[in-house]
Amino acid sequence: MTAFNASRRRFLVGAGAVGTSALLSSCVTQSPAASGGNSGGPVTLQSNLSSPQAKTAMQSIVAAFDKRGGAKAQLNTVASETFRTQLPTYLTSANPPDVYTWYPGSVAESYAKKDLLLGLDDIWAGPELSGYSDALKKLCTSASSGKKVFVPTSYYWWGVFYRKSNFAKWGVKEPKTWDEFLDLCDKLKSKGVAPIGLGAGGDTPWVASTWFDYLNIRVNGATYHRELLAGKHRFDDPEVRKVFDTWDQARPFFDPNGTAIPFQDATTALLQGRTGMMLIGTFFADAAPKDALGDLDFFQFPIIDPKVPVAEEAPTDGYFASARTKRTDETKELLRYLATAEAQELYLKSSSGTTLPTHPDAKDTGTPLVIKGRKLIESAADVTQFFNRDSSDALQPTADTALVHYLAKPKEIGSILTTWQRSAQQIWSQ
Amino acid sequence: MALIGSARRSRATRVPPVVLAFVLVPLLAEAFWVFWPALQGFYLSLTSWDGLSAPKFVGLGNFSEMVHDSVFRTAAIDTVLWLLLFGGLSAALGLGAALLLQQERRGIGFYRAALFLPVVFSLVATALVWQAMYQPDGLINNVLQAVGLGSWQHAWLADQDTAFYAVIIPALWRQVGYVMVLYLAGLKGIDPVLYEAARVDGATRLQQFRHITLPQLRSVNAVVLSVIVIDSLRSFDVVWALTRGGPYHSSELLSTYMYSTSFQSLRLGYGSALAVVIFVLAFGVIAGYLVRAFREAD
Repeated sequence: MTAFNASRRRFLVGAGAVGTSALLSSCVTQSPAASGGNSGGPVTLQSNLSSPQAKTAMQSIVAAFDKRGGAKAQLNTVASETFRTQLPTYLTSANPPDVYTWYPGSVAESYAKKDLLLGLDDIWAGPELSGYSDALKKLCTSASSGKKVFVPTSYYWWGVFYRKSNFAKWGVKEPKTWDEFLDLCDKLKSKGVAPIGLGAGGDTPWVASTWFDYLNIRVNGATYHRELLAGKHRFDDPEVRKVFDTWDQARPFFDPNGTAIPFQDATTALLQGRTGMMLIGTFFADAAPKDALGDLDFFQFPIIDPKVPVAEEAPTDGYFASARTKRTDETKELLRYLATAEAQELYLKSSSGTTLPTHPDAKDTGTPLVIKGRKLIESAADVTQFFNRDSSDALQPTADTALVHYLAKPKEIGSILTTWQRSAQQIWSQ
Repeated sequence: MALIGSARRSRATRVPPVVLAFVLVPLLAEAFWVFWPALQGFYLSLTSWDGLSAPKFVGLGNFSEMVHDSVFRTAAIDTVLWLLLFGGLSAALGLGAALLLQQERRGIGFYRAALFLPVVFSLVATALVWQAMYQPDGLINNVLQAVGLGSWQHAWLADQDTAFYAVIIPALWRQVGYVMVLYLAGLKGIDPVLYEAARVDGATRLQQFRHITLPQLRSVNAVVLSVIVIDSLRSFDVVWALTRGGPYHSSELLSTYMYSTSFQSLRLGYGSALAVVIFVLAFGVIAGYLVRAFREAD
C-alpha cells in the first residue's frame, strides 16, 4: 500500500514537473492573431438587456432588421452580470460575437485602447449617423486612436422622482436649491415619511454612486468629477471631503433601510408613499405599474453652488463591435440600422418608453415626463454618464464599498476615504 | 511499480489494455480540463493581468501585497471563523439530530426527510428565500414585531455586525441535514451488542455515548471532517447570493474576495493568488488527513 502510494506520488510529481514547463509556455492568456474578412452566417448581437420588456424590444428590432433583406442578425441575450464579467473574454477570443450592447466613453475606451473595437468612422460619415449631435460624436470617439468606435442609440436621465399625488397630499413643492431641498426633507420627516429613498442594498449597491456623482458635480463641477474618476485627483482630497460634508446635511433624511433593500424595493416604497422621493434613473419605471407612471414626476437635483456650471447625469446606451469580427460588412450594416430613427422608435414602442432616442429625427414617446427629461438634459452645460461609465467597471466596487460604509458609519469618513483611495490606486495602476 | 517489481509480481499485476484505456482516457480529460487550468492559475498568480492585455510577470508581488491587504486579513479571519462556526456547529448539530432520529419510531422518516430536504435544494434558491426573510419588512422582523420584540428588529444583511452570522444560518440549515445522514449511517453500523453489554455493566447513557458511540464513529468523523473542511473553503454561493461579501467586506470570505477581485475589479493576477492561498489551505488540511489515514491503515 505504502510502496504503491510512494511510487504513484513520485510519478505525479514527475509528470507535474514535465507538464508545468510545457504548459506554462503555451498559455490560454495568449491572444490569437486578429482576423477580418467575411465568413457568412448571421451577425451575432450579444445583448445584456435581459429584462422582459427590453428583451422583447430587442427581438422586434432584430426581426425588423432581418425583414429588410440583406444581412441577417441573431440575438443572444445574456444575464447582465454574466455579460459584464464575460465581456473581456468575448472581445479577446478568436471567434467573438460581432456586436455588443454597452456604454460609450471611458468604458469603451478601455477596450479601444487595446485595439479590440471595430473602427466605425465610415458609417459615422453615412446618412444614418451624420446628423447626430457633436456631444455624441465626441463621446463615441476613442481618445487614443481618434477613431469612432461606438454607435449610441438612446440615453436617459437621472432625477429626484416623486409621486405628484403624494406631494399634493403633503402640501409640498419641488425645491430648486439645496436649502429648499433640506427644508422639504424636514417637512416630510415631520409628517412621518422617510424623505429620501435610496435602494443601495441587495445587488444594487451602485445606486448610491449617483448621490456621490451628483454631489460632486454640484459642489466641484463635472470637470473635476471626471478627472477624479480618471485618477488625476485623490479620493482623500479636501474637495471630496467637502462632498461628504454636504451629504452629511441630507443624510439624516435618508430612509434607514436605504442600504438594506435593492432599488426595486425602494421603488415600491416610493410608490406606496413610505418614502417621499428618490434620486434614480428612468429605468426604475420598468418596475412601476402602468397606472402609477402617470403620477410620477421628478425635479432636477438641487443646485448647491450657483457658481458651478450645471451638469446632469445622462448615461448613453448603444453598441460597439469587435475588431475581430469575421463579418465586417454585415456588422456595419446592423449598426447602421440600429442608428436609424426607425429602429430607435421601434425600441421605444416595445420597451417602457422612458428613454430618449439619439437620432435627431426619432420621436420620443412624448409623455410629459419624457419632454421634461429631454429639456433637463438639453439645458445642461455639461453631461456626465455615471460613476462606472466615467471611470471603469473595475472602479465601481470600490465606490460601492466606500459609500455603503459611509452611510452606515458616517463618522469614519476619514479612514473610508483613505481606503477608497488605496483600492482605487490598485485599479488605476494596472 | 510493475517495472521495478519482481517477475512474479509483474505477472500478477499486469494490466489489461482495456483497464489501461479506462484509466488513461479520463486522466487525459482530467489533465486537460482540470490540471492544465489549475497550473495556469498558479502561473497567473505570479502575474498582473486585467484579462485584456498580456499578463505581466510580477514574481511574488501579489503575495507580498496580500500581507498588507486589510481586506485579505478580514477575509482570512472570516474564513477561519466560518470554518469553526459552520464546521463545528454543523458537526455538533448533525450528530445531535442523528442521535435523536436514530431510533425507529413511527413518523421518524418524516423528520429525517424534513432535515435532509434542504440538501436537495439549490443553495442559491435557498439563499433567495432566506434573503426575503431577512429583509427589513421580511418574515423575521415581522415575527419579532408580533411577539413584542420590535426593538430587536434589524436590517440583518445590511448591518456589519449581523451580516456574517445571518449568512451562516442558511448554510448551516443545509449542512446539518447532510452531516446528519452521514452520522445516521455511522450509527447504524454500531453493533447493538456493545450497548447491551454496557447496560449490563450499568453504564449511564452519557457513558455509553462517550465510550461506545464516539469511538465507534471515528471513521465517520474523518469523512465528516473532510466534507466540512472542503465545504467551508468552497462556501461561496450562499454568501454571494445574500451579501456579496458586504456590507463593506464584513462578511467577506476568501472565496468571495477571490471572485470579486478577479471578475469585478478585473485584477485576475491577484485573484489567482488568492485562489492559490485557498488551494494551499484546502490541500494542507486534506493532505494532513490523508497522511494520517494512511499511516493508521499501515
